Amino acid sequence: MAIKLILRKKETELEEKAIQVKHALQRLELSPEAYLLVRDGELLNENDVLRDGDVVKIVPVISGGTT
Amino acid sequence: MNISQTSMKCNKCDQRAVLRMKHHRLALCKDHFIAWFTDQTERAIQKYHMFRRDQRILVAVSGGKDSLALWDVLHRLGYEADGLYINLGITGEEGYSDESERYAVTFAEQRGLKLHIVNVQETYGASIPALAGRTRRGREKPCGVCGLAKRHIMNRIAREGFGFAAGEGLAGQAGDGGETLAEEDFARRAGYEVLATAHNLDDEVAVLMGNLMNWHIDLLARQSPVLAAAPGFARKVKPFCRFYERETAAYSLLRGIAYIEEECPFAVGSKQLYYKDMLNKIEEDQPGTKLAFYVGFLKARESGAFLPLPQREEPWEEAEETAASGPQLHPCPGCGQPTSNVGLCAFCRTIGAVKMTKP
Repeated sequence: MAIKLILRKKETELEEKAIQVKHALQRLELSPEAYLLVRDGELLNENDVLRDGDVVKIVPVISGGTT
Repeated sequence: MNISQTSMKCNKCDQRAVLRMKHHRLALCKDHFIAWFTDQTERAIQKYHMFRRDQRILVAVSGGKDSLALWDVLHRLGYEADGLYINLGITGEEGYSDESERYAVTFAEQRGLKLHIVNVQETYGASIPALAGRTRRGREKPCGVCGLAKRHIMNRIAREGFGFAAGEGLAGQAGDGGETLAEEDFARRAGYEVLATAHNLDDEVAVLMGNLMNWHIDLLARQSPVLAAAPGFARKVKPFCRFYERETAAYSLLRGIAYIEEECPFAVGSKQLYYKDMLNKIEEDQPGTKLAFYVGFLKARESGAFLPLPQREEPWEEAEETAASGPQLHPCPGCGQPTSNVGLCAFCRTIGAVKMTKP
């Protein structure tokens, strides 16, 4: 088992029993300003803990274009 | 580290917080965040005197999180807001524009809201990428032409309404009784009083950074939560201008709004994304930097720090942002919209170039 993180259909696994959201983002080198995490439809805060077996969606929040 | 002791609670109740906003020193649960977000939107509308409940609002929707969140919150606040979706004909891996349109349509249908759709290919004979590819300004990247087209179409629909769009310009158009209407009467009867876009604080500070890096004083002078209506130009407002982008995303997620997550394929490598990334790096180290940057800019602007030079020349697409303080404008003989050119406006020239080079 592992923690499965899915970003834009790409899956990454963290071999951890438990890890806080902010540290998971650090491990993936993702800015907490630019990504939110959702588990089982629930938005997670930076201190929430991901556990072995979790499947977590990483939602990019930054978009760029012209107006 | 003992991770079992680190759960974060809402500052207003005992529930688990879903979002911490360090720049506000505030962490909120789902219900309190939605209430806070809604209240802050109303406050921004009032603070900047954007619009009233008796006014008709046109919301520019892209199918993305920000614009659908804006339409949702305006609807919940009781404003009369219709949507405008512009299908740009961008394909990408999954048919980007068509997919975006589906999200906008679904959103409107689920809530019984009115959505206007303008298909650029059908209306002007070419998609944005095709149109841009035949012009000098858009040959390498279509973003400039895309922005020009969107501003033109948004202004047209806002001012004329949708049912009156076929003839484009306002000059000489007749109303219900066949009489020629004065411009402002026509706008009031057929169009909308306000055009609302969902620019968030990250968008605003990225533009601000770009304008500062290039010392575009004239553009700094007109970057504002509200652009007043002027002859030929609809009033434009940005009710989300003080929300961080992660806050608008959180609102959409918490409200269960389905939106397109795919990024425009042409946005890759854009300067706006570069500036956003850079500003987020600073924000991580110094929370509140983006908000202070924007609010400080608005104060400086209000105090006259960026007053435009009256004789400065400016391109049409920039002039449209502040017609009131810009150069002398003339109605474009092609579409009727104001332009600083004596002849056709930049949009009509672009469309004309396409027609000339069409096989």
